[in-house]
Amino acid sequence: MTGPTETAEAAPEPLGLGVDAARRREIVRARSAKSLARRRFRGRVAIGLCTVAVALSLAPLVALVVYTTARGVKALSVDFFTKLPTPIGIPGGGISNALVGSLVIVALGAAMAVPVGVATALFLLERPGRVAGTVRFAADVLTGVPSIAIGIFAYTVLVEPFAHFSGVAGSFALAVLMLPVVIRSSEAAMRAVPRTEWEAGLALGVRRGRVARSIVLRGALPGLVTGNLLAVARAVGETAPLLFTTIGSQFFNLNPGQPTAVVPLVIYTNGTSPFGADQQIAWGAAFVLLVFVLLLSVVARTVAARLSRHAR
Amino acid sequence: MPDDVVRPPRVPVVTTLEEIPPAQRTPIAGVKEALERRRARPGGRLYAGVRFGGAGVFAVIAVALVVSLANSSSSAFAHSGLSLLWSGTWDPTRKAFGAETFIVGTLVTTAVALVLAVPVGVGTAAFLSELAPRWLATPLSVLIDLMAAVPSIVVGLWGLLVLTPVFAHHVEPFLKEIPVLEWFFHGAALGPSVLLAGVVLAVMILPTMVALSRTALAGVALTDREAARALGGTRWQVVRRAVVPGARTGIEAAVTLAMGRALGESIAVAMVIGNAYVIPHSLLAPGATLGSAVVNTFGGVTTGLERSEVIALVVILLALTALVNAGGQLLLRTRLRPRGATP
Repeated sequence: MTGPTETAEAAPEPLGLGVDAARRREIVRARSAKSLARRRFRGRVAIGLCTVAVALSLAPLVALVVYTTARGVKALSVDFFTKLPTPIGIPGGGISNALVGSLVIVALGAAMAVPVGVATALFLLERPGRVAGTVRFAADVLTGVPSIAIGIFAYTVLVEPFAHFSGVAGSFALAVLMLPVVIRSSEAAMRAVPRTEWEAGLALGVRRGRVARSIVLRGALPGLVTGNLLAVARAVGETAPLLFTTIGSQFFNLNPGQPTAVVPLVIYTNGTSPFGADQQIAWGAAFVLLVFVLLLSVVARTVAARLSRHAR
Repeated sequence: MPDDVVRPPRVPVVTTLEEIPPAQRTPIAGVKEALERRRARPGGRLYAGVRFGGAGVFAVIAVALVVSLANSSSSAFAHSGLSLLWSGTWDPTRKAFGAETFIVGTLVTTAVALVLAVPVGVGTAAFLSELAPRWLATPLSVLIDLMAAVPSIVVGLWGLLVLTPVFAHHVEPFLKEIPVLEWFFHGAALGPSVLLAGVVLAVMILPTMVALSRTALAGVALTDREAARALGGTRWQVVRRAVVPGARTGIEAAVTLAMGRALGESIAVAMVIGNAYVIPHSLLAPGATLGSAVVNTFGGVTTGLERSEVIALVVILLALTALVNAGGQLLLRTRLRPRGATP
């Protein structure tokens, strides 16, 4: 940044041929000592700033988690996990319907996204070419699509035509959200399986489907598990795709054809309520969601490490 | 040109039997028959069906997304035309629909988020990857990686119930006192504001920013560092002149991704921005973004022109994120190689 100027401004004494060797050495030594001192000082300031940056990035994140935990734990009780929600503003009640609803909606979404995503990844691996390039490009573009847009899309194709909000529409939205992540992470995981192992299978006369199943999918299992679990962890916390699809519900519901309560929507509606009792529920739900999502990502990482050790 | 010159067939590098064009397959009858038999087997067809089926379903979904949103918003674009982009009035009762307020809100909140998150994120990444001792760097890195999984709704809830009062009573009045920055921070300190939305977005994108930048920094070759060190660089100069320039592409990719997330976030922003449909005159003023406006206007809308206009907001948001992503890609591609350790 300031490279050339440093030496330019540090030349008060001429260092030409007229100066004798001893004097010259002296000047050079003094100059480099000065430069080194200055560079060290600058370095110390910059490293100090980096430390401040660490503090600045950790402070809000830690504060967020600690505060959510502190407020959330207070909201937890047996009722919180087993009871249905009370009407707005009335203390008590629980979010049992939303906990079950979230599990059902996300499981259904994963059941749609994972098979399609893994199959698409296999397609990308087996058919290199322009079509695969286009599909890959579409997956990359879809990764950047805002989740609210996916929610509106699911609304226009699965809610409007039936004039009926439903859990399936929400699952579909989550599946669309997960798909690009599943495709790209699965592709990366399967690409890591050595090409020679495919070829060995094919050379033995094994059918391609069998090679895909027994060699590629088996070898890529740790990566597949991690990628898909992380995709699920992301989907569990998504609110925008569910806002206009599953819409939320006050009742216990296992039928995905009906409007369903989900945890993120519980946090949104209760958190924006002016009543303290509702906000309490929101903190409790946020804490449960946070714990679930963090656990899922920890599991995803450790499972990958465990499985890949076994595979060796 | 004599056509009858026999040229040796060009042999492509093949990895599977089926990639050989039929004309060039070994003319041994048995092999050919075996191949045909294999193809006729249900197993082979099943596998092909799985692959093509998966890719086909995905393609249909991707196309349907674009077509359905374009189709649903067409009457809005027909009604409002391009004034949809630069009219600042959103008044359904007068059938006046303009998204300028929301576009400005989206860009301003994203800019605030990036101004806060990029230097802090890159600084943190540099510290964790280059400067901190391992016993400190490893647990902190794992912690921040995990934070990337925190759902945005939780960040929004924290912003709404914890940060809003803090901003209203402490941060915003303080910022108003700073003389030079007055132009940015003036007006009433209410709490919900464009600034607060930017801060919440910054908290949301920070872990991603740190994690990706850290990976990029760690990927710089050891020899680059050693060379910079051997030239007499101090510890910081090695980071500043060798490592960060070497990781530039990766850091830019991290910024692009973070920007995409900040542009597209809707719920967390809707909780803290104040949802005022006027162009904010100051960072302390409430506003609205494309995403937050959709969250707030779509609920009561089911049919008619207004529904179409709201979906048009989604289309504008999509175009904006696509533009940013494409711009990011272009930036990465056209840039000359990272400048490396040149002084």
